Amino acid sequence: MKMFDLDQGIADQLTEVSLNSAIQVRCGNSNAFMVTASTLIPLLQAFEMGGVYISASRGAAEVIQGFEAIGVDVSHIQFIDLVSSGILGGTTVPYSNVHFVDSPIMLESVLLRTLYILKTTDNERNFIFLDSVNSLAIYNEDRMLAEYLHTFINTFRQQEVLTVILNVPDQTPPLVLSNLDLYCTDLIDRGQVVIH
Amino acid sequence: MQPAGQYSRDRCITGVHGLDEILRGGIPYGSTVLASGTCGSGKTTLGMEFLVRGADAGEACAHFTATEPSVKLLENIRQFKFFDVKMVDSGLINVFDMDVLYSWLGLEKSSFDLDDVHSLIKAIVDIVNTIGVTRLVIDSVTTLCYKIKSEQLIRDFLFTLGKKLATLGCTTILIAEITSATENAHWSSFGVEEAIADGIIVLGDVERMGHLLRFLQVVKMRGTSHSRAKHAIELTPLGVMLTPMLKWGAVSDTHNRWGA
Repeated sequence: MKMFDLDQGIADQLTEVSLNSAIQVRCGNSNAFMVTASTLIPLLQAFEMGGVYISASRGAAEVIQGFEAIGVDVSHIQFIDLVSSGILGGTTVPYSNVHFVDSPIMLESVLLRTLYILKTTDNERNFIFLDSVNSLAIYNEDRMLAEYLHTFINTFRQQEVLTVILNVPDQTPPLVLSNLDLYCTDLIDRGQVVIH
Repeated sequence: MQPAGQYSRDRCITGVHGLDEILRGGIPYGSTVLASGTCGSGKTTLGMEFLVRGADAGEACAHFTATEPSVKLLENIRQFKFFDVKMVDSGLINVFDMDVLYSWLGLEKSSFDLDDVHSLIKAIVDIVNTIGVTRLVIDSVTTLCYKIKSEQLIRDFLFTLGKKLATLGCTTILIAEITSATENAHWSSFGVEEAIADGIIVLGDVERMGHLLRFLQVVKMRGTSHSRAKHAIELTPLGVMLTPMLKWGAVSDTHNRWGA
């Protein structure tokens, strides 16, 4: 069952990027999942990539169920869940591809866990999908988050791992936003939701 | 495996992800390195990985354990994906209980005098020499030093042991327990270990908004330039993994980083 149409423009734009790109994907509150799906589905299906999905906005189980609801199998990508450890009983999930980090404040742990997962997978081409900068900004101080994104993006660009960073710009501090604009090589802007 | 004392390389490549980069290639051969850390900071894991990586490269390794039984230690080594039980079977990894060693030497007593210390040094050096050990871990030197009552004797013990092991080309990690790894802390319990060691690697925790983040910092390493920055670490089945700690995140809550 498909509840929305995928944005073909995103898939088209993805054909233009290389593996060492860092893409900032801007979305709004109401279209976040549509934009996420429109970005992730081509990576999984058309480009046959593996990867790591870092979920800081919602628990990984909820994200997986969202994809299952639209008929997309995400069992071969790994999830790093930064939300559920903060909820009592939140880490009891029926998915073996979910890893937990205690808190969104443990930014270095997220980076190391991602590197660990990449070392243990045998995909030829990988992506990292960070969902989302604005969620990390709730917990982390601006300068630290800006510094982190700098390290994060450069680490994966160096390793030729496609970095996709979801962001709701009006919920992101100006310092972080301007740094993100600086570090990312590409921008997919769906920040303005057009109501037909 | 190269015989003890004959090396073509000048660095002992630890094999620990990121540590060799920090050390610009590894620990200079024959060094005695103090790995000091608070409880749960990953010192034993670091020591175990150092040995398993060595065994994986064909080096003979020895672990003297005073903090946990050798059986338990060997069970913990199995967590590493790069560990193979053949490393133990073929004699590349050798684990010795300090209690058993004390028993062999007739040192089942609460404190050691000069003669006891010298017979302990001789026993360790003999084992290293006989097996051809090139990597050694003593876990922990703090527990061992508790039995040596005089500071001068501790100094003598560590200096003599370090010197003899260096002569044999054995790179040694002495694990030390400390209660705090903050800026003002000592890197060892007795204060003398840090002065004798060729290198000091500190492991501890940074508290960030109620969460503990493990860190590793190379404070000193003779014979090589090295990074002195704090690195965040994770203990994984692939071993210890490191990444530079965020500069804006390396200060704990008490230093007002969060504007309290």
